[in-house]
Amino acid sequence: MALIKHNLIPSHEACKFLLSALAFLILFRPAAAGEEFRSVSFVNDVMPVLTKAGCNAGVCHAKAGGGQNGFQLSLLGFEFQDDYEHLVKEGRGRRLFPAAPERSLLLMKAVGKMPHGGGVRLQTESEGYALLLNWIRQGAAYDADTAPQLMSIEIQPNRGTVMRNAAQQLKAIAKYADGSERDVTGLALFESNDKSMADVADGGLVQISDIPGKVAIMVRYQGKVAVFNASVPLGVPVDSVPASKNFVDDFVFGNLKEIGVPPSPVCDDATFLRRVSLDISGRLPTDAEATAFLTSQDADKRDQVIDRLLRSPEYADFFANKWTAMLKNRRDDASDMTSNFAFYAWVRDSLLANKPYDQLVRELLAATGTVIANPPVAWYKRVKEPKQQLEDVAQLFLGVRMQCAQCHHHPFERWSQNDYYSLSAFFTQVGRKPSATRGEDLIFHKRGIAGAANIKTGLTLKPAALGDAIPAIAPDEDPRLKLADWMSSPENPFFAKALVNRYWKHFFRRGLIEPEDDIRDTNPPTNPDLLAALEQHFHASGFDLKELVRVITRSHAYQLSSVPNQYNVADQQNYSRYYPRRLQAEVMLDAIDDLTGAQTDFPNLPTGTRAIALPDNSYNNASPFLKVFGRPENESVCECERVQSSSLAQSLHLMNAGDIKAKLATSSGRADRLAKSEQPAEQRIRELYMVAFSREPRADELKVALDYLAESRVDAAGNPIDAQKANTENFQDLIWALINTKEFLFNH
Amino acid sequence: MISAQTRNSHLAIFAMVVIATTNAHAQSVCLPLPRLLTTIPMGGTVGTQVEITISGENIEDVSELMFTHPGLTATPKLDVNGQPEANKYIVTIAVDCPTGIHEARLMTRLGISSARVFCVDTLPEVTQAAPNTTLATAMELKVNSICNAVMTTKAVDHYWFEAVKGHRYIVNCASRGIDSKLDAVLIIGDSAGRDLVVERRGGTLDFTAPEDGRHVIKVHELTFKGGPAFYYRLAVQELNADAAIPEFASTKTVNSFSWPPAGLAASAASSETEPNNEQAQAQKISLPCDIAGNFFPAADVDRFEFAATKGDVWWVEVASERLGRPTDPAVLVQHVTGAGAGADEKRTDVAEFTDIASPMKPSSNGYAYDGPPYDGGSADIIGKLEIKEDGVHRLQLTDLFGGTRNDVRNVYRLVIRKAAPDFAMAAWGLHMELRNGDRNALSKPLALRAGATTALEVVAVRRDGFDGAIELVMEGLPEGVTAQGLKIPAGQTRGIMLITADQNAPRALANVSFHGRATLGEAATTRPVHMAAMAWPIVDSWGEIPSPRLVTGLPVSVTTSEFAPVTIAASEKKVWEVAAGEKLTIPLVHTRRSEFSGSTLQLRTFGAGFEQVPRFDVSLDADQSEAVLDLASLKTPPGDYLIAFYGSAVVKYRYNPEAVGVAEAAQKKATEEAAVATAEVERLTAEAAAAASDTKAAADAAVAEATVKRQTADAAVAAAAAKFKAANDQAMPKDTADIVLSEPIAIRVK
Repeated sequence: MALIKHNLIPSHEACKFLLSALAFLILFRPAAAGEEFRSVSFVNDVMPVLTKAGCNAGVCHAKAGGGQNGFQLSLLGFEFQDDYEHLVKEGRGRRLFPAAPERSLLLMKAVGKMPHGGGVRLQTESEGYALLLNWIRQGAAYDADTAPQLMSIEIQPNRGTVMRNAAQQLKAIAKYADGSERDVTGLALFESNDKSMADVADGGLVQISDIPGKVAIMVRYQGKVAVFNASVPLGVPVDSVPASKNFVDDFVFGNLKEIGVPPSPVCDDATFLRRVSLDISGRLPTDAEATAFLTSQDADKRDQVIDRLLRSPEYADFFANKWTAMLKNRRDDASDMTSNFAFYAWVRDSLLANKPYDQLVRELLAATGTVIANPPVAWYKRVKEPKQQLEDVAQLFLGVRMQCAQCHHHPFERWSQNDYYSLSAFFTQVGRKPSATRGEDLIFHKRGIAGAANIKTGLTLKPAALGDAIPAIAPDEDPRLKLADWMSSPENPFFAKALVNRYWKHFFRRGLIEPEDDIRDTNPPTNPDLLAALEQHFHASGFDLKELVRVITRSHAYQLSSVPNQYNVADQQNYSRYYPRRLQAEVMLDAIDDLTGAQTDFPNLPTGTRAIALPDNSYNNASPFLKVFGRPENESVCECERVQSSSLAQSLHLMNAGDIKAKLATSSGRADRLAKSEQPAEQRIRELYMVAFSREPRADELKVALDYLAESRVDAAGNPIDAQKANTENFQDLIWALINTKEFLFNH
Repeated sequence: MISAQTRNSHLAIFAMVVIATTNAHAQSVCLPLPRLLTTIPMGGTVGTQVEITISGENIEDVSELMFTHPGLTATPKLDVNGQPEANKYIVTIAVDCPTGIHEARLMTRLGISSARVFCVDTLPEVTQAAPNTTLATAMELKVNSICNAVMTTKAVDHYWFEAVKGHRYIVNCASRGIDSKLDAVLIIGDSAGRDLVVERRGGTLDFTAPEDGRHVIKVHELTFKGGPAFYYRLAVQELNADAAIPEFASTKTVNSFSWPPAGLAASAASSETEPNNEQAQAQKISLPCDIAGNFFPAADVDRFEFAATKGDVWWVEVASERLGRPTDPAVLVQHVTGAGAGADEKRTDVAEFTDIASPMKPSSNGYAYDGPPYDGGSADIIGKLEIKEDGVHRLQLTDLFGGTRNDVRNVYRLVIRKAAPDFAMAAWGLHMELRNGDRNALSKPLALRAGATTALEVVAVRRDGFDGAIELVMEGLPEGVTAQGLKIPAGQTRGIMLITADQNAPRALANVSFHGRATLGEAATTRPVHMAAMAWPIVDSWGEIPSPRLVTGLPVSVTTSEFAPVTIAASEKKVWEVAAGEKLTIPLVHTRRSEFSGSTLQLRTFGAGFEQVPRFDVSLDADQSEAVLDLASLKTPPGDYLIAFYGSAVVKYRYNPEAVGVAEAAQKKATEEAAVATAEVERLTAEAAAAASDTKAAADAAVAEATVKRQTADAAVAAAAAKFKAANDQAMPKDTADIVLSEPIAIRVK
């Protein structure tokens, strides 16, 4: 089980970190004269050495089910007592050889003098080796009860401005309960939150790259963490920025001025309309909409279109598609259909009605009854166990990944197992009764005092929300309602932040915190003031999701051109330009349907149902397109389940796949209709460009298209083919070419 | 690696499973019974006549369409020649016919059909005339009218109505509540069909128009299913801002049979008064009480405070789910000591009440039939409150489903009374596993074949400590039909009612009275048995959730068109006497009227005191057998008992073989008529050939006329041949598994 847990996403980060440790031979300075006479602490010396060397990594001796070759250590060394027992006493003490400490199995294997599956972990001249050796020489004592207790770790400096391509040495200082301090730079673990911006060596030397922005270096030592926040300026004078439309602009452009990155200009109307339509309603503007928008002289026409899109049912469809994927609206059996449809519809209708976000989450968290009468109950059909419930809720609604803390103290965070089980306690009074529907339970609040046992200590913990005490919950009160109360309170540091960060990412491709659901002290936002202001605005609006979208999309920051200037091409996190991104699978399929005039038929749904309105994952089976372009299977709360990367399969699909060809050739489709149209060719080409790109064709584009349409076509034998047929095929080719442009495939 | 031998054996097992499964599913379950499935439209306006079209299964030779209220009458619709049009009726709705839900049934060749809801309303009604699945084909729905319609599969029905800005419109849809399979989604959109408001839980859209002009109503099934079973009645009404929202009447859930207690006033004597959520706000009441309230707003807690004396016993009953609400009431009673509400107050739990237990284990929705898909239990409450200390008590009433739901319609009624022992009863057609993986959920109208014994499963909810035996009584049966109830023994909640049609019983129909009889205190008391039935025949309750509900009345019919495949009865109609501890051998006579698949019938035993009789086999090829009852092992105490034997057999059933002869005769007659017509054409053709020029034209005309007649006759031959073939096909023997019940047998243990 622990192994499985450590394959989950947060643990994956841990594993990456620890695996990187495996790649190094740790070269410490040689033991100084007299060092061997210093009393070596098991807790404060030996354990850090083992951790630094990666011995207690999940893939090594902390592997679930007995470690490696019968030698087991606790994951990341959080269990001193157990590790001491394993190290010193287990196997009749065979791992240590006090009579000849150098010949101890522990050391012989670590330095590679005996075969070791994990390879060489220490050099004999390293400080780590010396500490282990001296500890054995000194009697291999256990000192958890007497050793100074580690209280915190401090990183020096903890923030600063570092120029591009410069280096910064960090120092890690451990602080103990007895007031002592110790430089543990050599024993601590360092990690960058963005390796493309900064890399950090084992000894704490940070190397900054040439990308401007904010980057954080985390230091970790014995369960304590600290962060160095670096600001990396480009240093170009920013003389002018677009006018501020709201606080979003104030903070985005303020940051750009601070780090000296000039923004791109505000994009043109056509780009804006296409961008905002795709981002809010998941669809291309129609020809008529684009024409009306481009010809409108209204000063606030961009604001108007945002409001119109937010009123449209497609907004609800598109965002319901996003939310139901993360809420695991997944069809595993044909009998799931009704509950999946009901659940999707509940989310969609709630968004259409602009139900406050806190109310939406409250209805989900504390759902009771039957799926038909109360569709959020369907979430409890898919997510059955309290542990799974807390993990999903924490990650999705609080941006906190708690999975690690089920088995051990979270390596990057302050979350302990007690925090984990206290949070799961909110879900321990979820009662279930059989219903008339196979596979569905009636969900109700089961009277009783909520509590969950910490599997390590056996202690039963009352509900507590990520370190915040919750007033005693009476047996009759549903603890989940108290959790919902806590979430929506103004003081809650996670709830609003997680949502605004998630939505920011939706519109800007990159969250202010990345990944968007891994909010922690050690993963700071790139623009903390902006994040705080968004949180405050969202809360003050009564958790109004449409208002959040409105304030984001009205900003000039959102409306910047995606075309970089000479300075901001490398910018990846300061929003100095719009970061283009490939249309997601459903949006692209709908866009191709819109352009070709075809319709995709989905099983058991009305003709004309758009891909963004599909209620669950089952339609991926019947649509190679959706699979190839990464539509998720609704298995994870992480948006990363959606594959947004590009692949050769995608390119080949767009160029050659049968479904694309069929759409191009669909009878009464756009190619067919335009070929038969009496309109001038220019007008017909204009229509294609307006639908595909929301803009008129440029003169050069028009000429190329006209020339192509005028070309005669011959069959395989070289004979001219029927003019009407040729005309139709020419239009099909033209549409095909437009589909295969980046301008079409990307929101830009 | 799997060896070739192992692989072969795996394949063989797989093949056997496939064959077994195929065979199992080749069998039908239950002999055909007549079922009325749809009427289009599903209702009409009071004081009008409405033409309806019916459909159903096994409903040939309909002699009557009848309703549960005399204010509804039907006559066949006649064509221009005065002949009845197939499946069409003119229903007259009397001016004094109550509005709401009524039920229709057919009297057919096989007898009385299952029931189908027929609605009566005051609003004018229309019926969907053409497909309206696009905005362009949207159908106009006048404000303050009802449209009867059938949903198209994978489609959205579109309507439009003219709205006035600021006016309030109520749009609602009757579907599940009138036996439809439709889980309706209602959407009001703007003139372009863009969604404005949506309702998907069977509720009502309360809509104030934002603009003047056309608004679109869209209706679809939650999962876009459709077809004849997915019908609905859509209404749009304009109401004043403060008017109460009208709701369509609905059928009652099965478990509502236990509400209300006999003699309860129609309205509660008092109502809850908010705020009463907090301990300090508890509403003061005195016992007994009868209080109406609701679980509103979300997470509502209603607290009541009363004084009680040690040793008092009260009974607490709450109805909410049984009123049709999706709620789960919970009651907690606490004894309160200390200086009033506050820090010093101490509360001690006295009693906690949740559900009304199911009288018998319902289906667990497993692989095979393991209990009826009817649940007589409820999320409501009937609980005994024993006061352990003098003083102040508080009763807290909550809805376990109500944490987040704000629905003012979630009403309840709380009754606290001194013990009033009583019982309520419901019954439904008995079913059991008839084949491997049988997941049938079938309505079983009491359409008896002569010679058949059929059974109803009867359950009782006992109230306020009533523990006595309940006799089952059926009165007003048709001629030749007898009913004997295997009583519900003291302390138990399930019994069986056996209804037997003598093989000489004439074709007949009667509305019977069915009730339970028990002694409450000193008084013999009867209570009605409410009948439950499936809204639709479901052959796979995994793939489709059955919809049981209560129906009105209990018509019982006998058909002589078909007979029971076999009748098993004791050799003598007498009370069989046996001394306690001895063996009783009962000779059984088999009257066989059909072929069977298989040669033995395994029998089990119904009836208190004899349920433990070991299963025994009787031959389906024999005319007699015997049952041996060992009273020593059964340990049945002296007394009078009624038992019946039951099992299942696979009949080689022929559907309506009489129709084959009729069709054959019709075909013969048509053939003869065609021959006559052909001969006439030949004769006239010859005459025309020989006709003089002045009569030639007339002769040719006669030939032409005769030719048309011949063509008509030929077509009639083809139609008759097709009918004959269809009748033949239907009458081909088909393996059909059904329950076989013996006639009841009376036993006296001395």
